[in-house]
Amino acid sequence: MRRILSLAFAGIFGLLATTSQAQMREIEFEEYDLKNGLHVILHEDHSTPIVAVTVMYHVGSKNEDPSRTGMAHFFEHLLFEGSENMGRGEFSRYVENAGGVLNANTSNDRTFYYEVLPSNQLELGLWLESERMLHAKVENEGIETQREVVKEEKRQRVDNQPYGRLLEETMKRAYVEHPYKWTTIGSMDHLNAAKEEEFVDFYKTFYVPNNAVLSIAGDINIDEAKEMIKKYFSAIPKGTAEIPRPSMDEPMKTAEVRDTILGKDQLPLVLQAYHIPAQGEPDFYSVDMLNTLLSQGGSSRLNRAVVEEKQLALFCGAFSFPLEDPGLTLAFSMANMGVDPAEVEAAMNEEIERVKNELISEEELQKLKNQVENGFVSSNSSVAGIAESLANYHMYYGDANLINNEIDRYQAVTREDIQKAAQKYYSENNRVVLYFLFDEEAANATEN
Amino acid sequence: MKTLKYILPLLVLFLAACSGGKVDRSIVPQPGPAPQISIGDYETFSLGNGLRVIVVNNDKLPRVSYQLTIDRDPIMEGNKAGYVSMAGDLLSAGTAGKTKAQIDQEIDFMGASLSTFSTGMYGACLTKHSDNLLSLMQEMLMSPAFPEDELEKLRKQTLSGLASSKSSADDISRNISNAICYGLDHPYGEQQTEKTTEAISRDDLIGYYQDYFKPNLAYLVIVGDISMEQAKSQAEKYFGGWEAGQAPQHAYDKPTPPRGNRVAFVPLSGAVQSVIDINHPVDMTPGHPDAIAASVMNNILGGGVFGGRLMQNLREDKAFTYGARSSTSPDPVIGSFNAYASVRNEVTDSSVTEFLYEIERLTRERVADTTLRFIKNYMNGSFARSLESPQTIARFALNIERYDLPKDYYATYLTKLEAVTTDDVLRVAQRYLKPNNLNITVVGNKEEVAESLAKFAKSGEVEFFDIYGGEYIDLEAAPEGMTAQNVFDAYYAAIGGKENLAKVNSIIEEGSMGVSGMSLAYNRKVKGTDQMVMTVAMGGQTMMKQVIDGDRGSSSQMGQSIAMTEEEISEAKMQLDMLAYDHLADYGMSAVLKGIDTDDNGQRMYVVDLMKGEETSSTQYYSVDTGLLVSTVSTEETPQGGMTVASMIEEYKEFSGIQFPVKVSQVVGPQVIEVTLDNVSVNKRISNSEFKVD
Repeated sequence: MRRILSLAFAGIFGLLATTSQAQMREIEFEEYDLKNGLHVILHEDHSTPIVAVTVMYHVGSKNEDPSRTGMAHFFEHLLFEGSENMGRGEFSRYVENAGGVLNANTSNDRTFYYEVLPSNQLELGLWLESERMLHAKVENEGIETQREVVKEEKRQRVDNQPYGRLLEETMKRAYVEHPYKWTTIGSMDHLNAAKEEEFVDFYKTFYVPNNAVLSIAGDINIDEAKEMIKKYFSAIPKGTAEIPRPSMDEPMKTAEVRDTILGKDQLPLVLQAYHIPAQGEPDFYSVDMLNTLLSQGGSSRLNRAVVEEKQLALFCGAFSFPLEDPGLTLAFSMANMGVDPAEVEAAMNEEIERVKNELISEEELQKLKNQVENGFVSSNSSVAGIAESLANYHMYYGDANLINNEIDRYQAVTREDIQKAAQKYYSENNRVVLYFLFDEEAANATEN
Repeated sequence: MKTLKYILPLLVLFLAACSGGKVDRSIVPQPGPAPQISIGDYETFSLGNGLRVIVVNNDKLPRVSYQLTIDRDPIMEGNKAGYVSMAGDLLSAGTAGKTKAQIDQEIDFMGASLSTFSTGMYGACLTKHSDNLLSLMQEMLMSPAFPEDELEKLRKQTLSGLASSKSSADDISRNISNAICYGLDHPYGEQQTEKTTEAISRDDLIGYYQDYFKPNLAYLVIVGDISMEQAKSQAEKYFGGWEAGQAPQHAYDKPTPPRGNRVAFVPLSGAVQSVIDINHPVDMTPGHPDAIAASVMNNILGGGVFGGRLMQNLREDKAFTYGARSSTSPDPVIGSFNAYASVRNEVTDSSVTEFLYEIERLTRERVADTTLRFIKNYMNGSFARSLESPQTIARFALNIERYDLPKDYYATYLTKLEAVTTDDVLRVAQRYLKPNNLNITVVGNKEEVAESLAKFAKSGEVEFFDIYGGEYIDLEAAPEGMTAQNVFDAYYAAIGGKENLAKVNSIIEEGSMGVSGMSLAYNRKVKGTDQMVMTVAMGGQTMMKQVIDGDRGSSSQMGQSIAMTEEEISEAKMQLDMLAYDHLADYGMSAVLKGIDTDDNGQRMYVVDLMKGEETSSTQYYSVDTGLLVSTVSTEETPQGGMTVASMIEEYKEFSGIQFPVKVSQVVGPQVIEVTLDNVSVNKRISNSEFKVD
């Protein structure tokens, strides 16, 4: 027995002794603006003969007209429909015929398009993205098809998914003013009502070079790439319309919002949503570290207490939405069968209170730093990921080099910062609490 | 000239701007020279205990991963389905020296990830932590504790997970497509349910671990920032002491496609989409000479490519779905073909029509050269992209070793791909796709969808299943507030009233029993609630006899007598007690009213489950109109396994003011036994000596 114990101790000390920062490879890049305002970022890496060509547009659901929600995401679909120089359906055909993949996604803040191609097809990627930016086809035929496809996407990813309405129910209660109150998939009624001119207008407003970042990573020659970029993008006119950006602040909550949502999901889910500062703010990092403490890994506080020891839940999580405007952090638990959700919530609150009342140990802080370090080192393992991160850091922070040093902001968080973050943001008046419960009648209702 | 010196740069800029404006955008850029695609190297070695080690060096990131894979035959888990995966999960839930809490703490402190599963474990960390990670992996591998309390916790979580899956159309679709494609009696098709989860014991997990966790069955794949020398010394240090041994081997009959198309439907109330999965088993092993051509064929139909026929037809042309795809997967035991999509309710049958069209078309029409070129280009690119991850090299190496592929299988992959012709595609489509032998599985809204799918089944009928591929029982809800006791009360009133029943002291039944064309004399006498004798005779000779004398009981067949167990006696006594439903608890039973079922003749029946603890011992059906018991279904344990016994009461007749079932047919497997009563005498004197147990 003694031998085993001493070995275990040796293990821990061994770990403590090796917490020096991992030798990370710096991500080198070049960046510049074209005259029309398009920001370009280039990262050269010859390990694999592929290249990621990406364009990030600074438009998301928060830029939408409140009576036309879902437009930004709808555009993500529409902009695969072709351009003046390519027919319907040809966009993806060109990419796949070149041996590439392509896709896109939309968030509350931005829309992101990418192709990953064999590196000898860089020019094709640039041509495609410039066609999309210059004169994409925004016409009725494509609009009608994509309307139906988006409805199927909503049925598949929201209506027919376990807890599929979770985000929608949370956001509409957490926000009363700010456009974060609606979800990116938006309203099908709004999309049905939108006319062709509105789509054209949306395109002309947001899909302009001065509202975009072209980020390229992979097996490229920087000088050649620059030439090609000039060839395809420099003639695209700068946008002239003012780009609508929400300027209002969501008013501080003065009382807890609490509600119960009945649905078809068998296990009760308890969710708490707390308002937090925008991404990049110092407190955002403290909250992120707090969430790591609460829910990352088997030893995290919520998992240990609620899942392992009290066995009240199947799963616990705590994470922040990285949002451009002040956002939310969510803490939630999926209860075990037959467990009273109030009991689960009490157990979660107990852990949150513990962070507020007791400073975490030095060792626990070191654990969080090690976890963050591991995540940071592992995050830059693909050229597509690197291109996206560079674009993100530029678009939101105006500093693409954060890809190399954002970790310092995490490493700077102290034990006191974490405690203060818990006290300041994880408070009753600052939250929405939702119970998602099973209900026979709600389960049988076919919602459309 | 001086002026020109200053103007020149401006001029260049001006010209550049002009040429920028003059780009002919209608010309699609042509690719540059094709880049060289090279597959990274790997090295292999073996330890003395038979552990085979594969090493892929890649120092791009300061990370390393260790994957341990046990290569064993699939296991049929039967009525304990789920124990194999639980054994895998629990490897990381405690060792001889550490609790789960300590293990979790150590993993998190390294910022590492480490997970265990039934066929091995996977750990990854920054290189600087690798020895600590390996020492943990070694402990889990050599001295797992399988703590009882961790098993119970996992069982609870598994049951919760199963409950949550009941509302997930995707989870249910996975269940039903496997159950139908491979059959419930195949390891790939059997289902873990609440019942099988409850039956798992700690010994099952330990047994699995002891049988299969042998180094001579295993591969260790090391990938990342590590030298060959380090890899060798780590493998020897942490896994060298692992002892070799024999492991059980298993072989299975190969599942076959259905004789004609069949439609299997799982109702999911409130569903707004149907999850369609069309499948059949495919007999193709990894690395089979047809595998690459089959993969091309599948990509044309609906692989990852957006330009696949299913995606273009069902999404881009008809807007039925967000995505439609297919897969053709080789497997060492039995592979499968699957085509799938989630579609809105009202276009479910139209979608199936399009699926069938596209599958059949591939077996009939040669694909165009341009189509083949397009897919080859796409697959070429996919292959190149996949090489970005060092794990791909490791996967290739593992496949080569595990499936005994030629060493240059992946190095020559692109050449083999290029060699595939349109003839090959047609040939493999005709050989491996079975457009007339498909399992069409659908999870969705029964009322809105099911009927429209009957036309696709060869039988002309939709087969309904529960979420685990078992028999589906469709019930309407019983009226609010109604209980099983209300059903029993109505039944007692219908057969003569409790007062009359309470006065019954003895019953003598005389009649006949028909079995496979033979007619036997049937006689049964009951006294009180604890004495009974039943005989079945042919030509005056007793063939079968059952007696209960109050305490003991025996069954005899052709003179061979066996004592009844206490449980059997208790069950039999309950049958003798005409008012048993008023005090079920005395028999250790309870009853639950499940709802109302409607039979083929439109008769509506209350469905009542008689429960023994958590188990259903039998299900009873009572007529809603008359209150009478119509039928009983139970599962009896026999030496051949569980057997369903169904008893239908076809006729009641009154004797002494009480309705007796005078015509009952019992279906036991393929056998039908009919009992007909000619006469029933109530409260006639019967001597105790008649109930004598031998």
